[in-house]
Amino acid sequence: MIKIVDLHKSYPIGKKDFLHVLKGINLHIKEGEFVSIMGSSGSGKSTLLNIVGLLDGHDKGDYFLNGQKIEKLNETKAAVLRNKFLGFVFQSFNLISYKTALENVALPLYYQGVARKERQKIALEYLDKVGLKDWAKHLPNELSGGQKQRVAIARALVTKPKVILADEPTGALDSTTTDSVMELLKEINNEGMTVFVITHEEEVAEQTKRIVRLKDGRIISDELTSEL
Amino acid sequence: MFDRDLWAEIFNSIKKNKLRTFLTGFSVAWGIFILVLLLASVNGMKNGFVSEFNDDATNSIFIFPSVTTLPYAGFEAGRRIKFTNDDLEYIQGNFSEDIEYITPRFNKNVTAKYKKETGTYQVRAVLPDHKLIEKTIVTSGRYLNANDVNKKLKVVVIGKKIKEDLFPDEDPLEKTLILNNSTFNIIGTYTDEGNDREERYLYIPVTTMQRLYSNTDKINQIILTYNPKYNLTQAMAFSDMLEEVMKRRHRVDPDDQGAIRLNNYAEQFSNVNNFTMMLTAISVFVGLLILIAGIIGIGNILVFIIKERTKEIGIRKAIGAKPSQIINLVILESVFITTISGIGGMLFAMALVKLVGKGIQSPAFSNPQVKLQTVIIATTILVVAGILAGLIPAIKAARVKPIEALNAD
Repeated sequence: MIKIVDLHKSYPIGKKDFLHVLKGINLHIKEGEFVSIMGSSGSGKSTLLNIVGLLDGHDKGDYFLNGQKIEKLNETKAAVLRNKFLGFVFQSFNLISYKTALENVALPLYYQGVARKERQKIALEYLDKVGLKDWAKHLPNELSGGQKQRVAIARALVTKPKVILADEPTGALDSTTTDSVMELLKEINNEGMTVFVITHEEEVAEQTKRIVRLKDGRIISDELTSEL
Repeated sequence: MFDRDLWAEIFNSIKKNKLRTFLTGFSVAWGIFILVLLLASVNGMKNGFVSEFNDDATNSIFIFPSVTTLPYAGFEAGRRIKFTNDDLEYIQGNFSEDIEYITPRFNKNVTAKYKKETGTYQVRAVLPDHKLIEKTIVTSGRYLNANDVNKKLKVVVIGKKIKEDLFPDEDPLEKTLILNNSTFNIIGTYTDEGNDREERYLYIPVTTMQRLYSNTDKINQIILTYNPKYNLTQAMAFSDMLEEVMKRRHRVDPDDQGAIRLNNYAEQFSNVNNFTMMLTAISVFVGLLILIAGIIGIGNILVFIIKERTKEIGIRKAIGAKPSQIINLVILESVFITTISGIGGMLFAMALVKLVGKGIQSPAFSNPQVKLQTVIIATTILVVAGILAGLIPAIKAARVKPIEALNAD
C-alpha cells in the first residue's frame, strides 16, 4: 500500500542553511496493517506523515502510494489522490468551526461530487458508527475533545479511503478518551483498513500491530508488537 | 458556477460569518454611495450653471453701434455710429447661410395707459424672430407675425409683469393699450425664463415703431443667432467676419474696439462650458480616486478574509478540495457579497438623490442626478476590480502546500 525507498526531506532555514529532517527512510506498509511511528519531537515523524499524506513533497527517494509513484504532483492531482485514498485525523481535530458535525463529515463527499442527500445519509451513518448520531446538528465548539476527534475520524472514514493517517490523534485527549479513540481505530483496522498512526506515547503505540521508531530522521527499529 | 452545492456552501459561509460579510458589504456599499452622491452633486452644480444661461438662445450674437474711438478715413474720433434697416438687410442678404434667426431692436421708453392704470415701460420694436432668440414664452394670444410687420399694425405683446400692473383683474387680450399717444391692440402675453425685468417689455413690430417716429429707418441693435450646426471655432470666425464687415460699412478703423460692439454668446457660453467641463473632469478624477480607494478596501478585506480562512483552506485541501474549488468558493462568496451590497449602496444613494434633489432649487444647484448607466458601470468596475484584487491572495492560498495552511493560525 505504502512503499518508501531512501526518502530524504530537508527544510530551508534562513537563506543558506537546510535542516535535514528525513535522512533516507525505507518503509513498506502493506494493506490492512496498523502501524505506529514513534519518536521524540524533531525526529521527523510528522514530516514523514505529511509526505505520506501528500500534504508535503519530498526531495529525494521514491514514494509509491497504492502502486502509483508519487512525483511532480500538482495540487489538483494531489487533491484527487488525497480524496480517493487517504483519510486524515489530526491532533488538533481540524474541524471547520462554522459547520455542524454532520456537515463536517459530509464535506469530503462534496469534493467527491456525491449528491447532497446521499452525502447527508452516508455522513450520518458514519457519525452513528463513531457513536455521535445524536450530535449531528452540533457545532464543533459544542463537543468535547473526544467527540471532536471522533467526528474527525468519521470524516476521515466517510470516503472509504485505503489508508487512515493519524497525526498524534490522542495528543489532546485525556487517557479515557484516548482509549476510546484507539478502540475506534482498532475497530477500523479490523475491518481491513490500513491505519498509520504517529505518536510519542508508548501506551498508544503498544495498541498498534507494528511500531516503527524514528530518531534524527532515521528508522532505528521496526518491530511487530505482541498484539498480533 | 451555478452548482447548487457550491452556492449552498457559500450561503452557509456567509450566514455563519456575519461580521466578515458585513465589513465587506459595507465597504462596497459605502464606496458606491459616496460616488453616486459626488456625481449627483457635480451634475447639480452643472445644471445650476447651465440654467443660469438659459435665458437667451446660446448661439446668439448681439451687435451694438457706439462711438468711434479712433480717427479713420478722414473722420475724427468720437463719431456716433448708427444702424439702419440697410444694415439689417445687408447682413440678411450676405450671410443667409450663417444665420438662423435675425431681428433688429429699436427701444423706446413709453408711458402705457389702460383705463386708470399707467406705467412707464420700455418698448422693444422687433421682428417675429425675436421670440426665438429671446426664448420668449407666449402664455396667451400670439406673438408678432409677418403680417403685423408688413402692414405696420399697431399691435403689442405684453410681459407678465405689465399684465399684473395694468390688468390685475382683467384678461388683457384684445384690449386697447395707449402707448404715449397711440392706441395699440394687445394680441398676446408672455413670460421669460430670465429675470423679472425681462417680463416688463412691450413688443411691437419694428416697422410700426419706425412709422410712428417720423418714418425713420433707424434701429438700435441687431441680434441674430448663427447656424446651430456651427461649432465654437466656426461661430467665432463668423462673428469676426461680421465685425469686420460692419466696420467697413460704417468706415470704422478695423482696430477700433469701441465703435461697433459684438457680444457673442458663444464665447461666454464656452466659458461656462469650459467651467462645467472642468467640473466634470474633477468629478471624474475624484470619482476614480474613490473607486481606487474602494478597490483597495475590498482587496484588503479579501486578503484579510483569506488569511483568516487559511486553516480552513488547509482542512478543505487535506480532505480533497482542488485549488480551483478553493478559489471558486472564496471568490464567488466575495462576488456575491460585493454585487449585492454594491447594488444596495447604489439604490440607496440614488433614492437619496431623488428625495433630497427635489428640495434643492438654487441658482448654483439644481436637479442633481446621475445617469443610471454611469452608476452601473462604476459598480461593475468596483466589483470586478475588487474581485481581481482578491483573486491574487486566493490563488496564492489555494496553491500553498496544505501542511503550511494547516499549520497557519
